[in-house]
Amino acid sequence: MLNHYNTGVFFDEMMEDNGNPKRHYRSFYQLMENFSEKELREKHETAQLNFLRQGITFTVYNHTGGTERTMPFDFVPIIIPEPQWNKVEEGMKQRIKALNLFLEDIYHDQKILEAGIIPRDLIENNSYYYNKQIGGVNVPLNNHVFLAGVDLIKDENGDYRVLEDNLRNPSGMSYVFQNRYVMRQVYPELFFEHSIETLEHQVSELHKAVISHTPPNVEPHSTPTAVLLTPGIYNSAYYDHVFLAQQMGIELVEGRDLIVKEDVVYMKTIRGLKRVDIIYRRIDDDFLDPEAFRPDSALGVSGLLRAYKKGNVSILNGIGNGVADDKAIYVYVPDMIRFYLDEEPIIPNVETYFLSDPEKLEYVLENIDQLVIKNVGASGGYDMLIGPQSEPEEQNEFRRKIIEAPHQYIAQPTIKLSRAPAYQEGRFYPCHVDLRVFVMTGDNTHVIPGGLSRVALKEGSLVVNSSQGGGGKDTWILSEGGETHA
Amino acid sequence: MLSRVADSLYWMARNIERAENNSRVLSVQLIHMLEASDQEVMDRDWGEVLDICASKLDYMDRYERIDRETIIQYLTISPMNVNSLMNSMNYARENARATRDIIPNELWEVLNEFHLAQKDWQELPNTRQHTQDYLKKVKTTSMTAQGIIESTMSRGIPYTFIKVGKWIERADKTARVLNVICEKNRKESSFGTNNYYYWLTALQFLHGYDAYIKEHPPTMESRHVLDFMIKERSFPRSIRYCMDHVMEAVQRLEGGKISHYSKDLFQMLETIQEEIKEADIEHMDMEELMSFLDHFQDRCLTVSRMFSETYYLIEPVHVR
Repeated sequence: MLNHYNTGVFFDEMMEDNGNPKRHYRSFYQLMENFSEKELREKHETAQLNFLRQGITFTVYNHTGGTERTMPFDFVPIIIPEPQWNKVEEGMKQRIKALNLFLEDIYHDQKILEAGIIPRDLIENNSYYYNKQIGGVNVPLNNHVFLAGVDLIKDENGDYRVLEDNLRNPSGMSYVFQNRYVMRQVYPELFFEHSIETLEHQVSELHKAVISHTPPNVEPHSTPTAVLLTPGIYNSAYYDHVFLAQQMGIELVEGRDLIVKEDVVYMKTIRGLKRVDIIYRRIDDDFLDPEAFRPDSALGVSGLLRAYKKGNVSILNGIGNGVADDKAIYVYVPDMIRFYLDEEPIIPNVETYFLSDPEKLEYVLENIDQLVIKNVGASGGYDMLIGPQSEPEEQNEFRRKIIEAPHQYIAQPTIKLSRAPAYQEGRFYPCHVDLRVFVMTGDNTHVIPGGLSRVALKEGSLVVNSSQGGGGKDTWILSEGGETHA
Repeated sequence: MLSRVADSLYWMARNIERAENNSRVLSVQLIHMLEASDQEVMDRDWGEVLDICASKLDYMDRYERIDRETIIQYLTISPMNVNSLMNSMNYARENARATRDIIPNELWEVLNEFHLAQKDWQELPNTRQHTQDYLKKVKTTSMTAQGIIESTMSRGIPYTFIKVGKWIERADKTARVLNVICEKNRKESSFGTNNYYYWLTALQFLHGYDAYIKEHPPTMESRHVLDFMIKERSFPRSIRYCMDHVMEAVQRLEGGKISHYSKDLFQMLETIQEEIKEADIEHMDMEELMSFLDHFQDRCLTVSRMFSETYYLIEPVHVR
């Protein structure tokens, strides 16, 4: 079925250049060969419908309003052999530990700034740095990053690199579970011959991590009450919120369900007010509390920040994490790891140029057609130029934007993102993939085995974001020797 | 449970029930229409259907004349009519979506599937067959939803809120149908076949014909029909049955106790039960019956409001 499949100059997850499957894909390859074309087509249909029927959708907004869409699912999994995964896991724990120490530091002693490792104005001019609001506040477990979603890519040598840290409200965890669920429903045959790390118990790990963030002033002798705060049913990640709240058995609340009285947070129930101790919020910082941040926020809760600073409620992820995950700070994460942990990064960054450096700026303006340019404040694949795939007019536009605000942009060499086969519309073709790894921290740090593999289904596209035509794949961590059964 | 969630459950149930009842009324009317020939009579019948399923006044404000196709469109898939089947089903789905962490997954899926098919319905030509199919789909969706609720939900707080919504909606609709038919009777005090036909229609609108005919020989005495639809203890669409079940649900919610905050609600429900019991349907004339039914419909509004106040319910989730 992969007869006409061409790996090209890219690293392919599944296939060798000579047309044979890689060792850890051999068994999968054989099983796949057993499917007839009709079966493949039908199974594909069934899988897509499954998402639609269950309403596992995200909402895309445009000028005509919102449309509910499902994220396309692709059945060819990303298989990662256990030893390789173990390294990723170590790398993620190391990185999140350093990032958390960084957050604790810049909202307290600022040692890293004093040591001159990171330029002070980069922090102080960062619009996500909320020192005024929460500087000096101690958070439970000194933990700011309860849940991180780190985006990894593989370069042309097949080595993992970190593309982006998401320390605010990483979404997509529900898809990890749903992709596996649908995969098991529709392609059970594939599971018989493989020994794959299970996803059972992962939600209870998450719940444990939530509950461990007890605020200092919790009512004695009571189990803390945790809630998940959602912007509501129109939010594009609403399904993620529903899924996590439901699976963890905590209440799914909206801002209007909460009220702060005498610096204590309550939720409005049919029996009156009930005290809330821990809030896993999926609302951005600036919408959290109209008193402290944007006064026009209708999603937040007035007085929440006061309750937080008094130690009456925990807020997860911590407020002000945005200063640690934007594209400019990203460049310094390897330095953070060296500074706080005295270790070398296990998983390296992608090489990145700052355009505020005049020499780099000149280089970038000259070589823009070979580089990726990103706005440091944007996400979701917006305000981004992919040099080799762009028209001269677009390049000129970005040159203009960069000269106008060099601080606002970074440049990266175009990495030959790894690819994997995807099966869509009745045929296999190679698509670029990345991997969002979820790292949860409470009393200890835990990485969900695998994560969300995202795939750019538009042929040749490098953008994996679901809002721009990206899809999802199941991710398998294959136990040692797991492929030898076949 | 969160008050907002309780409120959404309550309105989800009311909207599902409303859609089912309205689709039944419309479906019966589409059949009756085939046998009527007098244009004036037909226009009047459609006016009544409008009053039962929406508001004739609102309709006339917009369209100014009775037109069959316009009315069918208005009652089924028009976005202009807040009580159109499509809107009711959309509200129900939005409410279910806001409570997905509480309700059974299958319940969400059933409402979501209806929604996914909706686009197809809108594109189908407006033939009689398609309309009947659509009405049937609304009814089976409602019945499937109720089946899921009954067979999978624990008899706890969420279940109870759903049931209260359903019973209040149903009682109110029964009163509304009877009221319209009484009015019709009063206007035309002629007796005979017409009269028979009116009460038969009432029973069909209310899905009560089969049950009624088992209790009474196939005669359509207005007092028998009214007594059956208002006071019959064992028929699940009679006003009494519905209100008894509202009472039972609230008692379950309160664990059999009456607290200071629920005192008023209990008192109101008892008063209503008393009023139904005391009403001497057989000896009331049409005027009296209509004022009794009007009064009961006001009571439904009051109970709904008191229920909301007792449990701090807020405005339902609005759909943009």
